[in-house]
Amino acid sequence: MASDDTRIAIGRWHPPGSSRSEPAILLAQGKTLFVRLENQSGDPVSVNDLTRVDISTRVSRIPRRIAFADQSLFETEDNDAIDLWLKRHRRTGVVHELERFHPRLAAMVMAVALLAVLIYRFAVPALVEIAVVVTPPAVTQWMASGTLISLDKAVFSETKLPQARQDEIRAAFADIARVSVRGPDAYNLNFRAGGAIGPNAFALPDGTLVVTDELVELAENDLDMIAGVLAHEIGHVEREHSLRQLYRAAGTAGLIMLIAGDVGSAGEDILTNGAALMSLSYSRDAESEADRISVELMTKAGRDPRAIGRFFEKIEQKLGMKGDSSFLSTHPGTAERRKAIDDYAASIGTDGR
Amino acid sequence: MQEAVFGRASSLKRGEFRGSAGEYFGIWIVNILLTIITLGIYSAWAKVRRNRYFYGNTVVDGHSFDYHARGLQILVGRGIVFGYIVVYNIILSISPIAGGVLALLMLVLLPWIVMRSLRFNARVTSYRNIRFDFVGKTWGAVVAIIFGGLVSVFSLGILAPFASRWLYGYIFNNLRYGDRAFQTDPKIGALYRVWLPAFLLMVVGVAIGAFLGMMAYYGFEGVDESMAEPEVQIILAIYGALIPAFVVWAVAAIFYRVGVRNVVMNATIFDNRHRLFSDIGRLRYFWIVLSNILVSIVTFGLMRPWAAVREHRYVITHSGIIVDGELGDVVASIQNSGSAITAEYLDLEGFDFGF
Repeated sequence: MASDDTRIAIGRWHPPGSSRSEPAILLAQGKTLFVRLENQSGDPVSVNDLTRVDISTRVSRIPRRIAFADQSLFETEDNDAIDLWLKRHRRTGVVHELERFHPRLAAMVMAVALLAVLIYRFAVPALVEIAVVVTPPAVTQWMASGTLISLDKAVFSETKLPQARQDEIRAAFADIARVSVRGPDAYNLNFRAGGAIGPNAFALPDGTLVVTDELVELAENDLDMIAGVLAHEIGHVEREHSLRQLYRAAGTAGLIMLIAGDVGSAGEDILTNGAALMSLSYSRDAESEADRISVELMTKAGRDPRAIGRFFEKIEQKLGMKGDSSFLSTHPGTAERRKAIDDYAASIGTDGR
Repeated sequence: MQEAVFGRASSLKRGEFRGSAGEYFGIWIVNILLTIITLGIYSAWAKVRRNRYFYGNTVVDGHSFDYHARGLQILVGRGIVFGYIVVYNIILSISPIAGGVLALLMLVLLPWIVMRSLRFNARVTSYRNIRFDFVGKTWGAVVAIIFGGLVSVFSLGILAPFASRWLYGYIFNNLRYGDRAFQTDPKIGALYRVWLPAFLLMVVGVAIGAFLGMMAYYGFEGVDESMAEPEVQIILAIYGALIPAFVVWAVAAIFYRVGVRNVVMNATIFDNRHRLFSDIGRLRYFWIVLSNILVSIVTFGLMRPWAAVREHRYVITHSGIIVDGELGDVVASIQNSGSAITAEYLDLEGFDFGF
């Protein structure tokens, strides 16, 4: 090699495929890189054109690897020297520039916080809306039938309600379904013995409604009460609450998984559980919304709009449930919920009867 | 570079971690920012940079480790895993039976996945120009993971040390560094000595969990408000009962894991003569994990890089190798280095084995 060799950096050289390590110098002539052992004037031990070497990208101060095609390796901690030389022949790492400890990192912290808030507030809800719109009805039907089959196997048994009582409830239900946005054909009422679930009613996203015998018994002869509960369930179906909640949970979990690698496993757990708590508060909003729809539908159907509130009171008395709303609850507290129902009933111009 | 050694003197070479919280903070925040901006695609490259930072700052005997995985390999691996999860969840909600079949398939494939992922992680790790390799077969993983898991579950954890022995035997006895092998033979007595305190903790945890679970169950029966999706209520009851028990269980798991690591590493020999070394303090390590979590929460995650560096530094400085004579020159098994690495792009999270 001629005398115009440029000395780039000192470091260590490993022979091809060996762990042996020798002090060495990295030199360059034009675009050709070569390594000469320290204190040795013989031929260079490795020579390659820049296009045939693999120079590791810079990550803070960790040693730079320059891998030659013959599997020999030059290692140096002089990152700046390598960057300086590379700058004249190829681009250098932009990412490393960003990562350096620098006041501008504060701006990046702000950007991350801002983006996280924006995503949580706008992107996730928007994606949920899109997903709800594009979900074909067939999918919700499959989901619903799958859920009902599982529940039938696991908890429910056949209803023991007399046919006359069932017919009576169906008639009341038909009155409400008729004034609902989707009309009576969108809903399908089922009776089941609740088993472990006890007095309960729920709606599946395709409009399948289930009411348990225990709930009907709890309501005794107050048909409006049952109708109010069913109107509440229609509200859930109309606003597609369960589908929304599903997508929302999936979206938030996906978001956390996405950045989780750099949050750490403990942080990931905290975030995922935090997201679960958030989706609970969301489900409380959904309950209030369904309550309001119950009031509206009952009013339109000419029934007592406050029946749903009465039902909560009854449940409270019957089961000795405390009225305050706790953080870990999917449902708002009974007392505050009743008040909201009464206020809403009054505001849409009915005083009950 | 080595000093002249007469006879076969042994010397302990501890690991050294040269990273700093300030440096890692930059890498970490840029990783998160770019991951968000690229809608997650960058997360694969983020992992590469993170690992290169931690490996590259882990120094043993004056040389650092290096991590060679490429972002694209990890992206493809993650894409496969993500796709599977999506398909699995869709099928599960449409037809629980087909979903069950898919879950079972996953269980059958698990040993193979573990084997491939151990191999991937070994092959993308190098030290002094030589790559690690993992030569375990799928059947070994079946024994180590499925049988080991079943044995420790059905014995209520009492036979867990045997399962640990199989698992770490599978990992270390199949680990290669160039043309040199690792061998391990952790004594079952030593494993039981680290198992006992963890097991006692666990018994306490199960007792607390059972008590709270019963309270929650009867509470749930009584509360039974109605209207909601019943699944949510059941999940809540389980949550309320399991969180305290889970905390105790996690503490026990940390104690056991750290104890097992010490036993296994100290029973592992490299190249028939050098012995690995580990003396992580269980209480100290637990304190580090606990205080890291608290500090991370209080600072809204901003101290997470500091916490990660702190934990890493503790683990690395309490690991090492007792060199018998001198570390000889190791030659790569050439056929494994080049071609095999490009063929492996299946990267699966959660099975990383650290040095």
